[in-house]
Amino acid sequence: MSNLSRVVLRSLLVPRRQSWGALQGTTRPVALRLIHCGPRNQSYAKGLFLGTINKKEVFPYPEISKDELEEISQLVAPVEKFFEEEVDSKKIDENAKIPQETLEGLKNLGLFGIQIPEEYGGLGLSNTMYARLGEITSLDGSIAVTLAAHQAIGLKGILIAGNEEQKAKYLPKLASGEHIAAFCLTEPGSGSDAASIQTRATLSADGKHYILNGSKIWISNGGLAEIFTVFARTEVVDKDGTTKDKITAFIVERAFGGVTHGKAEDKLGIRGSNTCELHFENTKVPVENVIGEVGGGFKVAMNILNSGRFSMGSASAGMIKKLISMTAEYACTRKQFNKKLSDFELIQEKFALMAVKAFVMESMAYLTAGMMDRPGLPDCSVEAAMVKVFSSEGAWQCVSEALQILGGLGYMKDYPYERYLRDSRILLIFEGTNEILRMYIALTGMQHAGKILTGKIKELKRGNVGVVMELVSKTLRDSIGRTVNLGLTGKDGVVHPSLEESAKKLEENTYCFGNAVQGLLSRFGKTIVDEQLALKRVADILINLYAMTAVISRASRSISIGLRNHDHEVLLANIFCSEAYYTNNCLLEQLGKHSVENMDAGIRKIAKYVLEDQAYTCSHPLDRTF
Amino acid sequence: MRSLRHLFLARQLFLKEQWLASAETHRTQVCRAVHSPPTKDPPQTSTGSYVMPYEDVFAQEQRNKASFLEVIKLYCNKTTRRRGHVELIETALRWMPEFGVEKDLEVYNLLLDVFPKEVFIPQNFIQRMFHHYPRQQECAIRVLDQMENYGVTPNRQTRFLLLQTFGERSHPMKKYKRIMYWFPRFRHANPFQVPEKLSDPVELSKFCLQRIAADRNSSTTVFEMPSVQEREDESGQENTCIVGIQSPDQVSLLAEHDPSMPVLVDGPHSLWLKKTCVYYYVLRADPTSIKKEVEVDPERSLYYPLTLDLDLDRDLGDDYSFDVDEVEEGPVFAMCMTSSGDERTLGRWIRGLQKANPILGQVPVLFRLSSSPQELTPQVVTEYEKTREVEEEESEPVHHRMEQ
Repeated sequence: MSNLSRVVLRSLLVPRRQSWGALQGTTRPVALRLIHCGPRNQSYAKGLFLGTINKKEVFPYPEISKDELEEISQLVAPVEKFFEEEVDSKKIDENAKIPQETLEGLKNLGLFGIQIPEEYGGLGLSNTMYARLGEITSLDGSIAVTLAAHQAIGLKGILIAGNEEQKAKYLPKLASGEHIAAFCLTEPGSGSDAASIQTRATLSADGKHYILNGSKIWISNGGLAEIFTVFARTEVVDKDGTTKDKITAFIVERAFGGVTHGKAEDKLGIRGSNTCELHFENTKVPVENVIGEVGGGFKVAMNILNSGRFSMGSASAGMIKKLISMTAEYACTRKQFNKKLSDFELIQEKFALMAVKAFVMESMAYLTAGMMDRPGLPDCSVEAAMVKVFSSEGAWQCVSEALQILGGLGYMKDYPYERYLRDSRILLIFEGTNEILRMYIALTGMQHAGKILTGKIKELKRGNVGVVMELVSKTLRDSIGRTVNLGLTGKDGVVHPSLEESAKKLEENTYCFGNAVQGLLSRFGKTIVDEQLALKRVADILINLYAMTAVISRASRSISIGLRNHDHEVLLANIFCSEAYYTNNCLLEQLGKHSVENMDAGIRKIAKYVLEDQAYTCSHPLDRTF
Repeated sequence: MRSLRHLFLARQLFLKEQWLASAETHRTQVCRAVHSPPTKDPPQTSTGSYVMPYEDVFAQEQRNKASFLEVIKLYCNKTTRRRGHVELIETALRWMPEFGVEKDLEVYNLLLDVFPKEVFIPQNFIQRMFHHYPRQQECAIRVLDQMENYGVTPNRQTRFLLLQTFGERSHPMKKYKRIMYWFPRFRHANPFQVPEKLSDPVELSKFCLQRIAADRNSSTTVFEMPSVQEREDESGQENTCIVGIQSPDQVSLLAEHDPSMPVLVDGPHSLWLKKTCVYYYVLRADPTSIKKEVEVDPERSLYYPLTLDLDLDRDLGDDYSFDVDEVEEGPVFAMCMTSSGDERTLGRWIRGLQKANPILGQVPVLFRLSSSPQELTPQVVTEYEKTREVEEEESEPVHHRMEQ
């Protein structure tokens, strides 16, 4: 890998065309992507909360132009080659360090500046293309995390909220990989609670510097990075003249002095990535290095976190696709009882599961990436969170199944499989744990639906005859067995007929989900924030609905343009939709008020017993009373 | 604590008098039905219509398990025909508490073993129909009754003895089965069990405090170990120990306390552990009239909204909260148990607390000590029963007063 290849790649980056099926044929330069172009009506996921499907948002499945495709395949090839030939994942894992030459190789490929605009020396790729590259970089968990910490969160602050000077000053070096970035938010006493951030920045007497003091923990790339995005408390004078502590984001260079890091943490997985503590002691940060406004750090942090997640879908899918081929090879060669492993149905089932999961993850990831690439300010944070939750859990499940296929072999350190297991475990934890993201998904939607439904619910509770009659007649029609038609199929349909069944299931689920949301809102109102068990179900249903949408949309496109093996896609999509349909029905049932399936009360009680004793409470089965 | 010890001393003295009275008539020979000066009897439970030749056998000086067993053994060895066994058993039953063996299963089994075997087993249906050997059966039931009263669970040997003596279909056996039906079920009915013996005052205090606090995160601190200490206002010497408890939650609660409001040392409050009464003191404050409205900062959670901006309340049908008239109670910051509930000792406790709660240096401390614990033990002369309420000036730091 040489600088040459990078130059070649650059030259390939001619102005791209982004086409959006028949709906969006506009051309626009990449650099404008981040510019606000007018509000979008609403995101797809939020629409689902109202029981509607905004089919224009998700149909047809987003695609990239032929030029772009050629370009990305030319980009992908050397990266793939590099990962195959020059990355020794076993060594990285064992030594808990990515060798310098590997890092150099990555830099030469331009992988440190995938999304940085070309004018700053990056590759300036779209989200879709970023996701595509993520598929390959994820073949080594440590490298993927190092890269993600650098560009998905580390320098994202400068990219989305920095001013021109900051961009010009920092982005070129960051794009080339000369400087590595890190994102410093977590503190010993603060995970997702911004109120407990202790790091403090005080304005110096001359008003030109902020003096930064405090420590951060678990900072990815903390030991390697030159540039840090640091969040710290600053005193801000409010409108009404009171001083308040607010979070502000800073660009901190290691060269500012007073920045020290602890030794690299020893981790379960992604061992090659560098994670360590960081201490800032009287670090002088020029006032120009504030990202956004003083006191506006919270928004910056949220935007960075929300925008960094979508790529995990394609990354997980890439990993699982690789894992499928590795395990399939094993299953087709190993013989037991004169039968190949692949002839056993229980093994076949596992492959089917992995294929379905990979297919869904891919579909969701690229649908979301495509949505984010559309003009306008993308409001895809809920979708991105859903992709993250689904793919991280799917990845963990698939890796576990793969290990099961391999039997004892998978458990051995001599083979790469156990490393995949260890590496994939972090996916459920970082960038917002899945539990927290579920709350985010459900509550964001609830807020949206609540705004719209409040009036109706109030009328209903007040006993407005018209509204009540409407509800009664609706319930009556539903109970007689009305077929839901949200316009996916039929005359103006967007779904291919071979997926009609699945589309019907999606429509029915969506309709019921809308009703369930309204029910929840009228039951709990704003206290729904405390009903976490219900919210978890809401999030799960929504994730399933989004996944169904993604696979139906993708398979419809594939079958319509005649992609290779599109019949497989249809099969996978139909299988997944049926499965998700049953899960959704079960979850929807549990959301009902007097549901028999709902065991929440019992669950709360068990947890109470256990937590009161801070131990398992039952007597030993061998205990006696006399 | 102090009261307990006094109570204990008084009781010992009481027993000693008893022994002195019976010492000269002390006999070890069994079945000697001679006159002896009346001894202090254990409480009479039954009609007492029978002669009591065994009473004096039990009226001996050494009253422990060994001597009790000695008596039973003597009887069993002497009379091969076991004449008068019902009388012996019933007398023995009454004396058991005196010998401190009323909770000893082994002793009960030994008592049941006194019955001659196989004689009382009904042989035909007529015997079975009528009360076969009623006195013996009743006596066995009485033994089982006493076991039940003292919470002693029978074991397999008890069953074996009853079977041998009375057979399967007998009243004692029925009683046995009933006990065995209920006792195991009630075994863990009390989730807050008190250990059998807690003699060490420090351990006792720790146990009590943890029981009241009911917070696993709270930490007990022994501020003062029991030690011999000279007291200027009393000629005797006094053991004091201070054991306190405070949880991290209470520490933070106290740290947020408004320093202009005084905190109170309140007590003593009583706590019964089986037959022991102990006293504890709490450090608390008067309820604050102004409740702080906790406002949720919208810029607090980085990942998900903590509140929803909606104009919808919880539906009445889903509101399971009770309408409770809440009694305003002040916050409790810490608790302690000490052997002497005077202000000086409690002051030392407060001083000990200051290490973890520096705010106590600024907050005025009021001692609201009501009637002292000793009022429940009338034998003991107490000197702290005066109700005290010492108002503390705000300017005066706490430790000054402590050393006065």
